[in-house]
Amino acid sequence: MRRMKGAAIAVSVGLLAAACGGSSHNSSNNTGSSSPTGGASGTVASPNGSASGGSGAPASHKQGGTVTISNEAGQNWTCQFNPFNPAVNSLSVGFVYEPLVYVNSLKAGAETPMLASSYKWSDDKKSITFTIRDGVKWNDGQPMTADDVAFTFNLIKQKPSLDLYSLFTGAGLQTVTANGNQVTMTFSDNAQTYFYLFAGQVGIVPKHIWSTGDAAAKPDTWEDPNPVGTGPFMVNPCKPNNITYTANPNFWMPGEPFIKTVQYPAYLDNGPANLDLANGKAQWGGQYIPNIDAAYKAKNKDNNYWFPPMTNVALIPNLDPSHKATSTLAVRQAIAAALDREKISQLGESGYQPAANQTGIVTPTFNKYFDSAALASSGYDKPNVDKAKQLLASAGYGPDKPLKLSVITVSGYTDWDASLAVIKDQLKAIGIDLTIQDLEGQTYDDKLFKGNFDLAYGPQLSGGPSPYYELRQLLYSKNSAPIGTDASTNYERYINADVDKLFDQYATADDAGQVSIIKQIEAHMISDVPFIPTTESVDWYQYNTTDLQGWPTKDDAYAQPAPWNYPDDEQVLLHLYSKSAQK
Amino acid sequence: MRFLLRRLGFFVLTLWAAMTLNFFIPRMMPGNPAQAIKAQLNHSGHIASPAQLNALLASYGFDPHAGLLGQYLTYLKDMVTFDWGVSIGGSSLGTPVRKLIAQALPWTLGLVGTTTVMAFLLGTLIGIVAGWRRGGLIDGVVPPVFVVTSALPYFLVALVAIALLANGPHAPFPNDQNYDIGLQPSWSGQFIGNVLKHAVLPAASILITAIGGWILTMRNNMISTLGEDYVRMARAKGLSNRRIMFGYTARNAFLPNLSGFAMSLGFVVAGTILVEYVFNYPGLGHMFYVATASIDYPLLQVLFMLVTVTVLVCVLLCDFAVFLLDPRARAKG
Repeated sequence: MRRMKGAAIAVSVGLLAAACGGSSHNSSNNTGSSSPTGGASGTVASPNGSASGGSGAPASHKQGGTVTISNEAGQNWTCQFNPFNPAVNSLSVGFVYEPLVYVNSLKAGAETPMLASSYKWSDDKKSITFTIRDGVKWNDGQPMTADDVAFTFNLIKQKPSLDLYSLFTGAGLQTVTANGNQVTMTFSDNAQTYFYLFAGQVGIVPKHIWSTGDAAAKPDTWEDPNPVGTGPFMVNPCKPNNITYTANPNFWMPGEPFIKTVQYPAYLDNGPANLDLANGKAQWGGQYIPNIDAAYKAKNKDNNYWFPPMTNVALIPNLDPSHKATSTLAVRQAIAAALDREKISQLGESGYQPAANQTGIVTPTFNKYFDSAALASSGYDKPNVDKAKQLLASAGYGPDKPLKLSVITVSGYTDWDASLAVIKDQLKAIGIDLTIQDLEGQTYDDKLFKGNFDLAYGPQLSGGPSPYYELRQLLYSKNSAPIGTDASTNYERYINADVDKLFDQYATADDAGQVSIIKQIEAHMISDVPFIPTTESVDWYQYNTTDLQGWPTKDDAYAQPAPWNYPDDEQVLLHLYSKSAQK
Repeated sequence: MRFLLRRLGFFVLTLWAAMTLNFFIPRMMPGNPAQAIKAQLNHSGHIASPAQLNALLASYGFDPHAGLLGQYLTYLKDMVTFDWGVSIGGSSLGTPVRKLIAQALPWTLGLVGTTTVMAFLLGTLIGIVAGWRRGGLIDGVVPPVFVVTSALPYFLVALVAIALLANGPHAPFPNDQNYDIGLQPSWSGQFIGNVLKHAVLPAASILITAIGGWILTMRNNMISTLGEDYVRMARAKGLSNRRIMFGYTARNAFLPNLSGFAMSLGFVVAGTILVEYVFNYPGLGHMFYVATASIDYPLLQVLFMLVTVTVLVCVLLCDFAVFLLDPRARAKG
């Protein structure tokens, strides 16, 4: 997840106007939701036209009203809606294309049946059969069938560049067949942990459109300017500076969507996007707003925000022996012991991003997996400068032989700069001289991927509905690569056969077993210190309640709330209704 | 005639050299398109192997394994034949470059082009008058004021303009976009009026900061030209003030400014990134920034090419204009 986007330009602009800051997400930033445990349950009940699994069915409301989204796009809309194009799928999946099942990362993978009314796993979890919902129509009026579902996955199989979730290469998906109203998928291995990807993320496309013409010839590059999907909204029309979505009259949930129109302007920068949110021109934000209480909340009593934490922001040490200091355990332990994470959160992130902890479990989102006792007994729960100094001395560094380290970060991510300034101070106290290298995005990526750093601040990965997804990306040895070659996601190059085995066992474990596996991985996080979490990266989310009701809140976390979270955006849109339209 | 031919030959040679640089400079930037896309996919919850990344890029027409020379030749051919390919940048992946340019170019030309011409014309006119009446009221007030405003960064002017005139529910001007969202582009009076309303603040902030330079140079050129013998000669002949002012003084004082103007016209195509940022105005300057940040070779090289070509064409036209205006250039040629 990306927090501080934009160049020095945007930052210098931010100096003047409080409302203009240099940061936020890209439109396509989605935190992939993932299913873990819920998949074990076998079948899900039909929703009765309700939109949400977690929060109970939204009551019925009259239709009407408009919601305007403010989320920095960084560029004009290209008016392409191909759900297989990673640059634009956040604009089509959720609004127009729907997944089989919605999986809520914020509620431990709570499921809401969408295009599949139910599903059943085989006992060994190597095959799954979905029952496709009856009576669903494409927005051009044609009926949606199990054939369309099987067609979608077989299209992905034929054309590897469509396989954005590595279903056929990573997840072991082998065949997808339709029979009556059922679709069966078979896998080479237990596929439970991939449920959220194939059932929760892939938007189903209509066979009658995608099997002819340009769509069939070039499914990966086809523009799909007028997307035909089953979702609650239709594109009508798209202009470079704004997308208008209007309610789909053929939508399968009776009476839904309550909101008639969604406006999605293309914001090139945070400044205007934040200003529009503050003055109420836009009601749904996914923006980083500096000094949000004064610049946004105080402007209108109906302006609200909530930032649910999803993943870690961390110091990533280079574990390769060629980097002597950072590959020494005592040095990493010393850094982990020296950091006052509460202070980093307060001073560096204005408290918007809460403090992280050394277990790597994002709290409170994943409290179920959090081993607080282990953290307390490890001593990493509070900063301990004396212990850190001792550890550093045991590694051969001290006042007479200071340790010099450098950390790479992305220039323009001003909150990271502020956090690193705090970290630099805290490490200075134990005798580490930290140099902060502000690199421009591409240089940073190149160094991070190739392992050309002592410490890196990052890693901007996405999570899932359990800590498994983020931790596996960072700690699984297959995600690593030799220094000099792009590593997939294990940038620190952590290789531990025991941890690999734990990840391999996770899929076949039951719910309690999975919690226990994560706790064992936490133990390795504490003993090996493969990376050092500092703060928790959040979903930025602002909402205005003057006319619109039904927003996700801390107490009713029925979906990830930012407009760039897909397909979660569909759940939000199905809950929203306009007060003025109810009269 | 030899002068013109030489200029033309020089133009072609410069164009080729610049285009070659345009090809190689982006490729010397750190990182590569595969990494840029990988970073974006990682942030957004997708999972893709290196082989898949390359397959993805290949289906968008970028083959990372093609040799540099092969890429270069294809590039030259594509630039000449206007076959510009599709973008491989993060947020515009797969969009034809021609479409991207066509969407942004009119807005940049309209806003930056008009203001550049206006700044030049107004600035030159004020400079002529101020220089002619040296020490007068206009000369005492206008140039100093605009010299001060031209020293202000234009995003600062823009932000002050937004704070004063485009903040709050009853603000007279909009703070962002090129026209109200939800309006359909058409040639109706309502739409054109809306576009103009959205252009006022960005145009004013460019104008205020750009005009000072023209005034100052024109005024100074005027003053030094007024000291020339042929001006005294003209006065001695008893010509009218207006004739001396425009026909004798301004015409000569204007020449050095003209090539400066040609250059700045050429750079119109590069847009004004800061103004576009602050006003959320969809032009080429912003596109430049995005293309660079996402290592979008196809888009970058076309943008570079457009700037190069327009600058060179404008300079060439300026050479021709000088040829017409200045008898000395003709004599030398």
